Amino acid sequence: MNLEELEKRVTLMEDIQEIENLQRRYAYYFDLQRWQDIVDLFSDNAESVEIVDHGLFKGKEGVKKMYWDWIGQGGKSFRETWVQFIIMQIGGVVDVAPDGKTAWGRWQTWLCEAKPFGAYPRQEWLHGYYENKYVKENGKWLFSKLHWNNTFCSPFEDGWLNTPLMGLMNYHPTVKPDAPPSAFHPYPSGYHLPYHYKHPITGE
Amino acid sequence: MATLEELQARITRLEDIKQIEKLQRIYGYYLDYNEYQKVVDLFSDTADSVEIADYGVYKGKKGVERFYLELLGGKPPRVGELSIGMIMQGVVDLDHNGKMAKGRWYCMMIEAKPTLSRHEGELKQLWGNGIYENEYVKENGKWLFKKVFFFLNFRTPYEAGWLKVPVVGQHGPSTQVPPDAPPTFYYPYPSGIHLQPHYKHPITGK
Repeated sequence: MNLEELEKRVTLMEDIQEIENLQRRYAYYFDLQRWQDIVDLFSDNAESVEIVDHGLFKGKEGVKKMYWDWIGQGGKSFRETWVQFIIMQIGGVVDVAPDGKTAWGRWQTWLCEAKPFGAYPRQEWLHGYYENKYVKENGKWLFSKLHWNNTFCSPFEDGWLNTPLMGLMNYHPTVKPDAPPSAFHPYPSGYHLPYHYKHPITGE
Repeated sequence: MATLEELQARITRLEDIKQIEKLQRIYGYYLDYNEYQKVVDLFSDTADSVEIADYGVYKGKKGVERFYLELLGGKPPRVGELSIGMIMQGVVDLDHNGKMAKGRWYCMMIEAKPTLSRHEGELKQLWGNGIYENEYVKENGKWLFKKVFFFLNFRTPYEAGWLKVPVVGQHGPSTQVPPDAPPTFYYPYPSGIHLQPHYKHPITGK
């Protein structure tokens, strides 16, 4: 092994670590409701973002629509103090492309939330899987695509078996997605979100 | 200043730990989707055993196949059956020559299962928690499972909680697909008996 090969291997380890941190920072910003900071974690050439049944938002413009205009309510007011998004990022499987410029990551999330739903404040458990894409630009990793696929969104009082889905979240009076949700099939559909990776041993 | 060979050895150990973490997490994702053949293929052909909760010990690769394919995968899951395992907080230690490793992990479970038996009865929504103490082996440059051991802490109905109902849905070893040996360490909450870690104290060495 020469120095160049060693440098490549060290870079790969650093890349994986940075991508894991990027994904986790995203969730902490979400918890802190720092929507502009989330938008700034995406590449200017971002492909898309898709969360639960909100639909598919394309490009960096779409990213702004999703986080700032829709979830962040246009930044016009801070949310009520009781609103809470605890998003635990678990089980990262990060694979960097051989050229070291793009990467894919699968994660799962377990969420503990409180937010207004209909006329009432509600507390709920959520679970879902991410399949995300990342891109390295000027030495820094950014999101190029984020897809969060929701397994359930259930009121704390009921649980996922009784109420798998608290309700639809696919309507906003002014913010419209570029395409409908691509894979919104909550429990108990049995839907499997495809893996970006091949089986590590059989290669299938 | 370290030599190139020494640096290579050090980066290899970091790569090994990362590969083992991925192996463990991928195992979890396959289990979530009842993809048991893919799980079996993550085990070495020279695997020691798999032992989960009170199902008993299934020995060798043959035992691994019997446990996942015949016992867990014997029938397709029912509509509404849910089995999510969130595998967290890995502590992975390589042995000095980098051929074997051990890992301890928490697993938090979100489930919907029949609890009277494995295949019948009303679905219940469940919280579960336990600890893995697993062993890994490197063969042909790839990490595989050598041994999977899962200590069940609790599996409780959503509505009841672990204090009121620590365990449901465990009925001991299967009679249809019997294990090679009885459970070696099944002491769920509130036994007060804990699964000790594979590692020594990092500071005192005890």
